[in-house]
Amino acid sequence: MNAAESIIQIQNINKYFGSFKALDGVSLDVRVGEKVVVLGPSGSGKSTLLRAINKLETISSGSIIVDGHDLYDPAEDINRIRMELGMVFQSFNLFRHKTVLENLTLAPIKLKKMPKAEADQLALRLLDKVGIRDRADHYPLQLSGGQQQRVAIARALAMEPKIMLFDEPTSALDPEMIGEVLEVMVTLAREGMTMVVVTHEMGFAREVADQVVFMDQGAIVEMAAPDIFFDNPKHDRTKLFLEQIL
Amino acid sequence: MADLEKKIDIGDGAAIPDPKDKGLLSAWWIALIGTISLLVLLPLIKPDPYGKVLQFIPDGILVTFEVTILSISLALVIGLITGLGRISSNRFFNLAASLYVEVVRGIPLLVQLFYIYFALGRFVRVPDIVAAVIAMSFCYGAYMGEVFRAGIKSIDFGQTEASLSLGFNQRQTMAYVILPQAWRTILPPVGNEFIALLKDTSLVSILAVSDILRRGREYASESFNYFETYTMIALVYLLITLILSKLISNMEHRLSHYERR
Repeated sequence: MNAAESIIQIQNINKYFGSFKALDGVSLDVRVGEKVVVLGPSGSGKSTLLRAINKLETISSGSIIVDGHDLYDPAEDINRIRMELGMVFQSFNLFRHKTVLENLTLAPIKLKKMPKAEADQLALRLLDKVGIRDRADHYPLQLSGGQQQRVAIARALAMEPKIMLFDEPTSALDPEMIGEVLEVMVTLAREGMTMVVVTHEMGFAREVADQVVFMDQGAIVEMAAPDIFFDNPKHDRTKLFLEQIL
Repeated sequence: MADLEKKIDIGDGAAIPDPKDKGLLSAWWIALIGTISLLVLLPLIKPDPYGKVLQFIPDGILVTFEVTILSISLALVIGLITGLGRISSNRFFNLAASLYVEVVRGIPLLVQLFYIYFALGRFVRVPDIVAAVIAMSFCYGAYMGEVFRAGIKSIDFGQTEASLSLGFNQRQTMAYVILPQAWRTILPPVGNEFIALLKDTSLVSILAVSDILRRGREYASESFNYFETYTMIALVYLLITLILSKLISNMEHRLSHYERR
């Protein structure tokens, strides 16, 4: 893999919570436009890895370079780097005091100094894309979980990021709402967005991923294209995990 | 969602009526109607001294409100700074805020009033009412700081993470995301503190500030009608706090609009 075309370069990172090793020598490269799906049992460090990419989680050692910016270079402004990294959370985390539309426009208006009319237009276009334009004036708690998560995706997209990070985006949803969220994510993937997705949705991984990463006990156990990963896994731990989940 | 149910309860103000609580609501109505009836009937039945007391204290009511509103405004500013200090990762700021809260909480308000009044008097000559406002807000700022701290901490950390992930810094996150939401949690206890403060302003009558109580004492010491005077004064305070508690409860109800489905 050529480092020049990698937009995320993670090198040998370690992370401790007290004496517990949450990340153990993890290295991962993500190229522009690539979709990486991270799988693993709970507590395997997959969310910690994802959250390290936008520094919501700080690492104990190693290096992370995003779009040419070293996250741990004191000269870099983490807030600027985060503007390039959209993030979608398991629990949506929409701003409860703002309407759906305001959730989308807050960051572009305040951070990019985008005129309100332009931000509104952008927001409505994105809401159209995720299929909830008619709820623009509602407050988040008036929406279903699936709708909230779609708004959360649109909110992240409103900053026009280069990379999207998804932290178990469907885990908090009722089963009948998972499909509508995955559909939006698939569309986004088709459009060429660079994505790192932590999920338990094997169908999504198989359909969308360029690379599937399997983590266990803070380390990457196996990394492969989905057809190889699902049909012909090499490691016993991967086989065991797939047997339990499929 | 469970964290919406979180309420900060500091019970030193008047009971704020909850629109859903019919029992308290009717208690509020009974108290209000009773208070108004007595305030109207007593002066009608016995204009001297009841009517005379009522004519004597209106400027005192203005002073009481002046001291209360100035003090609560200043206390809100001090409280916000103190609350941010109490959750700050800056050790000096944090320690200073915590020390302030500890000191203020440990000294009775009346002692603080005397202390600040006479301590100020040693260095600068300020009008009595200014000294009173400084003392009241110094004390209430500490309580308000605890209210702000609890209010800010009651907001789910996911809100902070979402804001940071968009590219907002800590200060912007506080201003655009956390405080606007915390305000809703904070409002009931702030309303409580406002009413408690209004009642506590009666203490400043000792500092030669002509509030309701001071005006009443002046009248009573001339006319020797102590019982009648203090009856009217108690009723005036009660009427004010009853009306305020209702206003605050309405405001709180309106502010919760985005939580209703």
